[in-house]
Amino acid sequence: MYLAPEGHEIEIANAAADFLADAMPIDRLHSANSADMNAALRQHFGEMGWFALAVPESQGGSGLSVVEHVLFFREVGRQCGPVDVLAQGLAANAIGDAGLRQEIIAGTQGVALLAPDGDRYRLIGNPEAGLALLVTPDRAQLFSLAEIRAMARPALDPANSMGVLGILPAPVTTMDSSHIWRLGQLGVAAMLVGIAEASLDLIVDYAKVRETFGRKIGSWQAVRHPCADMAVRAEAARAQLWYAAAAIKEGRSDADVHLDAAKHLANQAALMNADANIQLHGGIGVADEHNAHLLLKHAMLLSRLFGTKRSLLGRLLNARLED
Amino acid sequence: MDLQYSEADREFRARAREWLKTNVPAQSRPANGVSGAQFDRDWQRKLYDNGWAGVAWPEEYGGLGLSGLQQVIWYEELARAHAPHHINTTYVALMHAGPTLIACGTEEQKTFHLPRILSGEALWCQGFSEPNAGSDLAAIKTRGVIDGDHIVVTGAKMWTTDAQYADYQELLIRTDPDSQRHKGLTWVICDMKAPGIDIRPIRTMLQDEHVNTVFYDEVRIPLTNVVGEVGGGWSTAMATLSFERGLGFIGDQLELYERVCRAIDLAEKVTLEDGRRAIEDDGIAQRLAAIKADTLAIRSMTLADIAETDRTGMPGPKGSMMKLMVTTTHKALSEVVGEILGWDFLEFNGDRAAHPWTYEYLWSWVFSISGGTNEIQREITADRVLGLPKAR
Repeated sequence: MYLAPEGHEIEIANAAADFLADAMPIDRLHSANSADMNAALRQHFGEMGWFALAVPESQGGSGLSVVEHVLFFREVGRQCGPVDVLAQGLAANAIGDAGLRQEIIAGTQGVALLAPDGDRYRLIGNPEAGLALLVTPDRAQLFSLAEIRAMARPALDPANSMGVLGILPAPVTTMDSSHIWRLGQLGVAAMLVGIAEASLDLIVDYAKVRETFGRKIGSWQAVRHPCADMAVRAEAARAQLWYAAAAIKEGRSDADVHLDAAKHLANQAALMNADANIQLHGGIGVADEHNAHLLLKHAMLLSRLFGTKRSLLGRLLNARLED
Repeated sequence: MDLQYSEADREFRARAREWLKTNVPAQSRPANGVSGAQFDRDWQRKLYDNGWAGVAWPEEYGGLGLSGLQQVIWYEELARAHAPHHINTTYVALMHAGPTLIACGTEEQKTFHLPRILSGEALWCQGFSEPNAGSDLAAIKTRGVIDGDHIVVTGAKMWTTDAQYADYQELLIRTDPDSQRHKGLTWVICDMKAPGIDIRPIRTMLQDEHVNTVFYDEVRIPLTNVVGEVGGGWSTAMATLSFERGLGFIGDQLELYERVCRAIDLAEKVTLEDGRRAIEDDGIAQRLAAIKADTLAIRSMTLADIAETDRTGMPGPKGSMMKLMVTTTHKALSEVVGEILGWDFLEFNGDRAAHPWTYEYLWSWVFSISGGTNEIQREITADRVLGLPKAR
């Protein structure tokens, strides 16, 4: 029993953090045309093997577990990485065709994400990608984007483009399994935990240097106490994420209950910490040039994917734990 | 990262479950008072006689010498078996005094006191807060004057839980009259039967008298009762508090999940004023489910913390974050149950067994104030976890 990264898990998390800070820093979102993952960046990720962490070695992946998958996506979240990174990684796990799988793993074939929206669908990610992935709790389907006419919509979150469409064509491939949904829910929960942590880090760093009334703002209890509450939310969401990842890795029968709880805790921690981070920064917190609003807007998008508050709590109410 | 229990862990859990199945007292604990304290002693004695006391304490002092994780397993099984609540008159002895003596006591102190604590023979109380020093613990004034091989104590302590039943007290005093703040303090074992001690109960909003003011009029305490160094009481006291904040509420942490499941069962049965069952109200259902998720996270935090402590040996500052999470979740659960129960929630005669939900609601303030208020826990988190500039 050990509920924190250790050994090679720490090495992978550190390698991911270093790679992402260089290849996909959050500051990119202050430049034009920075939404989504473009073809060059996708291939750069592919060369490093990031899309295939959890793909079995026999299928050209690294053969690692959902724990490493979660550690990677937590770092993606800290940089407000686009949903494309997740869609690409999930598709690499969902596809049966070896040739297409290799193109997805290498990043030469791009994948965006489809999310149900009533009787329509939202397309999140690069509209120039070749494929779009739709995941439900027991099925994953890939569609050719060439056959999809999505109407572009203005996106609140600058990390991702957003489109809307009514009718889907026949899928290119279908995988009847809950595996991809679980990977998706874990990945999004991990990104949200990363956002909750990044929000906390931003305000703690600022509170150590910014002064009001002749004192560092981090010495005022009006700032210290909400920061402590942010730390508690991040800690709780992180501990539950570790538990859920390990439960899925080990095939516990109540793993999905822990995963729903992890996604709920991550939703709450990211949204509330991103909110508090803006407020505690004061005026600069609402400036476009600051990163605070980027974390909030991305958290709002991610909180709607792979389990909304309503659906998660509906399932959790009557869920029972393994004895 | 893994959730694997060892063969020894699994065997320990199975044995604990089996034993608890037939040994949990059938009658509920008498409401506060001497008979309540006797009930606590009897239950602890039974645990001791059957080899269940002091799961993670060293074997040489009567404990089982097992891991922190096995201690968690024990508390999980206690909650599951609806065994007597672990926050009772044995609490201070088992959760603070014992661990403090193990960490800072002399060989004589450990050999004498630890087996008595484990067997329920000796009950302890805490003497830290004073009428003018609570959150600001370093402001204590109770005086200890060294006179030969004794310390003579004069002053007053406040909010002392179960002082009227306790045999000993962990007493923090100022032994250097010229000292300021954290310096010049000493942590001593006070015999509660010593001449010069006067205990006066304080009636609380729970309609009980579990806390007291304790007055000391030239109480003589042998120097051999000093735990740690004379003048080094602050570091001993910090060890005491780290045990309280770290694992002191472990039973509650693990029991909260059981309690939210009972609240959901309650909401299935209770009819609201508009004729619907409480569970059919979206607001109530969502809050209950969110609290349930929080209780799972609390359990995960507990396991993460224990596994870390098993590796490092001492509880870290994360105990303060745990206490914030547990006390706020506890209060949120009490509030939603209050909404479910409507008028029935307002019936209360001070008896925990008769009105458990209202009792828990009132107790939520004891929980968020004792052992360091939530405001103090936020200060500790800001200082020691986040490294923010000092407020003071």
